Amino acid sequence: MTSNTLELRGISRRFGNVRALDNFNLSLGVGELVALLGPSGCGKTTALRIVAGLEREDAGQVLLGNRDITNVPAHQRNMGMVFQAYSLFPNLTVEENVAFGLQMRKVEKHKRVKKAHELLNLVGLDSQSKRFPHQLSGGQQQRVALARALAFEPEVLLLDEPLSALDAQVRSNLREEIRRLQLSLGTTTLFVTHDQEEAMAISDRVGVMSHGKLEQIASPDTLYNKPATPFVAGFVGTMNRISTTLNSGRVNLFGKSIATIAKEDLTGEVIALVRPESVSVKTSTSNPNATVITRSFLGANSQLTCRTNDGFIVQALMGSHESGELHPGSMVTLEITSEEVLVSHV
Amino acid sequence: MAKDLTLDQSLLEAEETGARNRTGFSGLGLKKVSPLFPLIIFISVFFFWPIGAVLINAFKDNDGSFTWANYQLLFQEPYNKAFYNSIKLGLISALTGAIPGALIAVAIQQRGSVRLKKLISSISGVLANTGGVPLAFMFLAAFGPEGLATLACKAIGLDIYGLGFTLFSFWGLVIIYTYFQIPIMVIVFTPALESLRREWRDAAYNLGASNFQYWLRVGIPLLTPSFVASFLLLFASGFSAFATARAMTVGNISLVPLIIGTLLDGNVTVNQFNLGYALAMGMIVVALLAMIPYLLIQSRTSKWQR
Amino acid sequence: MAALKQRSSSKIASTIFLVLIGVLIALPLVGAAEFSLREGGRSKHSFHAYIWIFQQEDFLINASTTLEIALVAVVVTFFLMVPTVAWLHIYGKRYLKFVEILTVLPLIFPVVALATGAALALPAWLQSTKYVLSMMYVVLAMPFTFRALDIGMRGVQLEVLVAAGRSLGASWRSIILRIITPVILPSIFAALFLTVALSLGEFTLAQLLHWTTFPTWVAVAAQGNILGATALSVGSLLTAWILLFSFTFFDRKTSRTQEDE
Repeated sequence: MTSNTLELRGISRRFGNVRALDNFNLSLGVGELVALLGPSGCGKTTALRIVAGLEREDAGQVLLGNRDITNVPAHQRNMGMVFQAYSLFPNLTVEENVAFGLQMRKVEKHKRVKKAHELLNLVGLDSQSKRFPHQLSGGQQQRVALARALAFEPEVLLLDEPLSALDAQVRSNLREEIRRLQLSLGTTTLFVTHDQEEAMAISDRVGVMSHGKLEQIASPDTLYNKPATPFVAGFVGTMNRISTTLNSGRVNLFGKSIATIAKEDLTGEVIALVRPESVSVKTSTSNPNATVITRSFLGANSQLTCRTNDGFIVQALMGSHESGELHPGSMVTLEITSEEVLVSHV
Repeated sequence: MAKDLTLDQSLLEAEETGARNRTGFSGLGLKKVSPLFPLIIFISVFFFWPIGAVLINAFKDNDGSFTWANYQLLFQEPYNKAFYNSIKLGLISALTGAIPGALIAVAIQQRGSVRLKKLISSISGVLANTGGVPLAFMFLAAFGPEGLATLACKAIGLDIYGLGFTLFSFWGLVIIYTYFQIPIMVIVFTPALESLRREWRDAAYNLGASNFQYWLRVGIPLLTPSFVASFLLLFASGFSAFATARAMTVGNISLVPLIIGTLLDGNVTVNQFNLGYALAMGMIVVALLAMIPYLLIQSRTSKWQR
Repeated sequence: MAALKQRSSSKIASTIFLVLIGVLIALPLVGAAEFSLREGGRSKHSFHAYIWIFQQEDFLINASTTLEIALVAVVVTFFLMVPTVAWLHIYGKRYLKFVEILTVLPLIFPVVALATGAALALPAWLQSTKYVLSMMYVVLAMPFTFRALDIGMRGVQLEVLVAAGRSLGASWRSIILRIITPVILPSIFAALFLTVALSLGEFTLAQLLHWTTFPTWVAVAAQGNILGATALSVGSLLTAWILLFSFTFFDRKTSRTQEDE
């Protein structure tokens, strides 16, 4: 079984009065890793479970390749799924867990054991094959779960917040491993998470969801630099929201007139959305327009939270080597370096 | 000044570790656990003393020296028959309680309705603790010659009295015991069902298992230890029950609790002391044979039931 | 859709099964209830059997005896178990497992064996008061009362609350009154409720230690009057259910989590 395309067409689902998914459309190309990103309750997990067949849709279709699999039961969909935690069968060894999918497909014992070991090797856990799940750490268990999901060469890989229950360090290592595996096997992958850093780091495209709808789906780059809606702008990365006035398509920020991009026709009072890295901080100046409140050392960069003379809170990102002199109370001059800013209504 | 500081420090330390006086009880630190003494003393007087008395005196004869005689008594008539009956009653009522009970628990669990679960839990809680006398009277009334249950059976063509049915028999007792064994099973087995994580079922389906295969390879293997443990608990319960048996038998069934009851009813002579201890010890041994594996299984399976 | 086809067909099967079992279980109950409402044969029904027990001479004596025994058991449980389990959670966490095993023991050993040992070995002076039953009931209830208190304290992480109170400068009196007691009140109620339920219905120990309590008296008094006996049985069952429902109702008000599907 080689990898295939995946499409959700017009999927809707309600739970009581809540519309979990509202005419949801999504399309994945072969070998693509697409992330569904959003806060709890946005519908991303529901969408994933509908694809897997573990949840039923009220309306719409799921297509695998050209086949309509909407009415195909879960155990016949040939998709591999990794759950958030605790999904390994406790009564089976690691090896038996990984071989399970092959066992269900009636692959003979020595072949499926061989394949299980192949995959355990890929995730670096071959030495643990005879152990039981409760003897492994969280990160190890998830790697076994990954191996198990891929052992029978599914057409699609589904990941339901696989890293959420893990420690920070393990999380970043494992997400790289997931991407690496996915690329080498070329498996079409749908990855659900609420962690935007995770989604942006490894995906080909990211779909930002809110209230059952897709707000924007694009490459991480586009999402970050050209957010289509205020929600996306605020959800992905940090965003400054500065009150200002829009006049003939331009706003005045820190004494500079800047062009704007707006989703709708706006005039008058607006909110300008500016990324911290687009705010430059000058230290030795004659006309400071802000005071530093806190400085957070983030490694290569430092984040400065400042209060402007007008009373707004603005966050700026600058290289740590440049910010060494700054401390709470320092007077600085802020300036917007980008040529256009996104504006939204108040 | 420095001296005062060190004094304060050691007081703080003492407060934190709860050991105010390390020199008490020759440094064993018993003062540390002294809050546990009331409980330990209480349990010792009202539990360990009686039980200990049974275990020790069962092997003592009238002079106080060690003997196997009392223990050997248990293997003779009529006591061996009593043990045989009690064990048989325990096993059979455990079976008639465990299997329907497990099926009921599964049926309820699969529906997933919280309201239903709470309702069944309350009903089971009350029925499981309805032992003894009220239960016996209930059955006598319902299954008496004029009882509603008897008439209901007649309605579907079953003349139970005509077939020689009587509640005052071994099997009558089994029926009544089943009535509280089933709720006990539902109560004790449901946690095991609840510990079956939804992820395992989802993962099994996703990996290609049908419902049947999931139960065969994952569900049932995981539930088996708990089922066995619950069965053992039911056995101990059926074996040890006293009140119902007392209300139901008119001396025609020989059961160990009943013999002990008769013994303690009369004026107990010294020889009968030994018999009483021996019988009680026998009961303890049989019960322990069931309950120790029960506890072991429960603690083992809790590893993945977190 | 197809993924869930199995669910609906097995749902019907399980419904039929549950209804069948429900009928079988209700049969003795309903039969007994119907019987208890009879007055002189199958045709007439009234509550006269239910009033019968109240008209018995010894009703009041034995009822109050059992109530007294239950009361003492409750008081002893409260003063014995609550401080002990609280201390375990705050200062003695490492001894929790030990005490838990200790309190499970009464479950393992048959009550009849315990009764034998108590009857034959406990000194006469100890056995001369009916409150010896109270003490034994405290022991019998221990597995349940310990568990109720333990789970309750664990749920609120009592030791953290106490540490917070101490660090904020509260005296021990304040801590007991304002922090510990209000927070674990539901668990205390649960434990005491269990003790009462056990004390009111306990037959074996009372019988074997030759005490006349309400349950033992009923067994004898009812022998001659099957109607009254049945009324009693049904009545006690219903009372137990009402108590249980009112208890769970109270419990729901004080519990925070609502787990729905």
